[in-house]
Amino acid sequence: MMALATFFWGWLLAALLLGFGMGWIAVVHRAQGVSRMWMRWLALLAIALLAASFSRIVPGRFGYWLDLFLVMFALYLVGCAIGSWLRDRVVSRSRPAN
Amino acid sequence: MHGLFKWSSKWWPGVIPLVIFWGIAAWTSTATVEGDLAARSNAALKDTVLDKRRISVDGRDVTFAANAFSEDGRLSAVASVDAVPGVRLVNDETRLVPEAKPFVWSAERDVVRVTLGGNAPLPSSKSKLVEAAKAGLGGVEVADQMALARGAPQRFDTVALLLLDQIGKLKDGKITLTDTKIALAGMARELGGREAIAAALKNLPEGYSVAANDIKAPPYVFQAYKDPVAVTLTLTGYVPDNNVHAALVAAAGRKFFSEKVVDNLKASVGAPSGFAAAVVPALGALSRLSTGTLVVSDREVKLSGDALYDAAAGQIRDGLGKDFPQGWQYKAEVTVKPAAAPVDPTVCQQLFSEILSKGKIRFESGKADIVPDSAGLLDRLIETAMRCPNATIEVAGHTDGDGEEATNRTLSERRAQAVVDYLVRAGLPASRFAPIGYGSTQPVAGNDSEDGKAQNRRIEFVVK
Repeated sequence: MMALATFFWGWLLAALLLGFGMGWIAVVHRAQGVSRMWMRWLALLAIALLAASFSRIVPGRFGYWLDLFLVMFALYLVGCAIGSWLRDRVVSRSRPAN
Repeated sequence: MHGLFKWSSKWWPGVIPLVIFWGIAAWTSTATVEGDLAARSNAALKDTVLDKRRISVDGRDVTFAANAFSEDGRLSAVASVDAVPGVRLVNDETRLVPEAKPFVWSAERDVVRVTLGGNAPLPSSKSKLVEAAKAGLGGVEVADQMALARGAPQRFDTVALLLLDQIGKLKDGKITLTDTKIALAGMARELGGREAIAAALKNLPEGYSVAANDIKAPPYVFQAYKDPVAVTLTLTGYVPDNNVHAALVAAAGRKFFSEKVVDNLKASVGAPSGFAAAVVPALGALSRLSTGTLVVSDREVKLSGDALYDAAAGQIRDGLGKDFPQGWQYKAEVTVKPAAAPVDPTVCQQLFSEILSKGKIRFESGKADIVPDSAGLLDRLIETAMRCPNATIEVAGHTDGDGEEATNRTLSERRAQAVVDYLVRAGLPASRFAPIGYGSTQPVAGNDSEDGKAQNRRIEFVVK
């Protein structure tokens, strides 16, 4: 899949930046989070999709699209994690100054 | 870590644009990804020999169909495609090229083209054969109907190239290679072609053999045309070698006493056996015709033309076949020339003198047997004698000065009598001829030279 990244690296970068932005916002966002129950189901879904990808049971273009989604999603999550972590550092550093 | 888990519950809104991005990415990249994978899969198979290769890409899955020439080749081709970076799955639809049993290859030549058919073991040998056919046959259309198959015998290419070389020597025909057996049929382009092919087939690699060789040679044709207007005898066609050539021309010179021999003969192999033994008497028969054509085609002799008188026509029709070697056929279409207008005895005498000045009746040495070479000359004399039915003719025999005079006189008498007998057998009344032997008493030249003696040995026709 990585060998093909030249064709869609822009979209991977976009997913990473989107994740970064979302992670940055998520630290101070007041919106309702996903419930623990939902998180479990979503994690389960993600694992199922990963399993489907690695076992290569989804054929043809759908298989490619699934792989593409999982890679973009993974980068999104990485972006989110970095964004949240950095924002948290920024927030916690600025707090004593207040 | 706990914070990360807490924040992650609020990451979900970004998934909505992420899905939109994903949709666009999938929309824009699929075709290019597929194109790239197809190109690189094909590149990976560049050096692999396959037939009917077909690669189609669906997403990252490659469907690979091809006919391979060996199991190892097939597996390595599939592995090559599988190893292309980015390929997720290979749908292996490869097969082995079918095995031909027996392995048959053929080359067929007709008027306009050479058709290569049957099986070839590899695309490279297929193209090599087509190229060789185009190069070797210069300008002839080459139709390639060869299929690929496994199971070719060892050294197939060498043998097929050698056989292609032979197809160039055919006018039409077919050469078939069935495993290691070769069958040939057809007609050679030139005389000697059949022999050349047989010689070339001796160079076949070990293990190969000729099962059937039915190559026919074109007819071996010899023609002679006696033209009474141009007073020529034209010889065309083939003779087996220079010795026979010289012998035939010499025989023609003896038999055609007044005609000029135009020699257009060519030496060539492939003559039927007994060629000279059949052609020489046939030329003798032609010499007796006023105008005529002799065509010898293989072992068939055809003589057509006009005899000078009835009895001659009968003799020519019936007599010639007997002299031929076994297996030869003789066909005569001999008609009789319309009788020439009668002339008075003086003219007859002139005609006799004229004929005998061009040629001489010849006998076996020291005997009174007329040699067959003189038949043409005698026919002319008989025809002339028929034109003056009331004239009485003295047939005078002369010898040279060698030997006893008494012996010479007897010999000349016997020779004159032999000529008269010949004339009588031709249908002329014996009462019109008076055979006389003068021995060496009336020489026309000196007896001191061979040339002079030859002139003195003669038969004269004197109209009384």
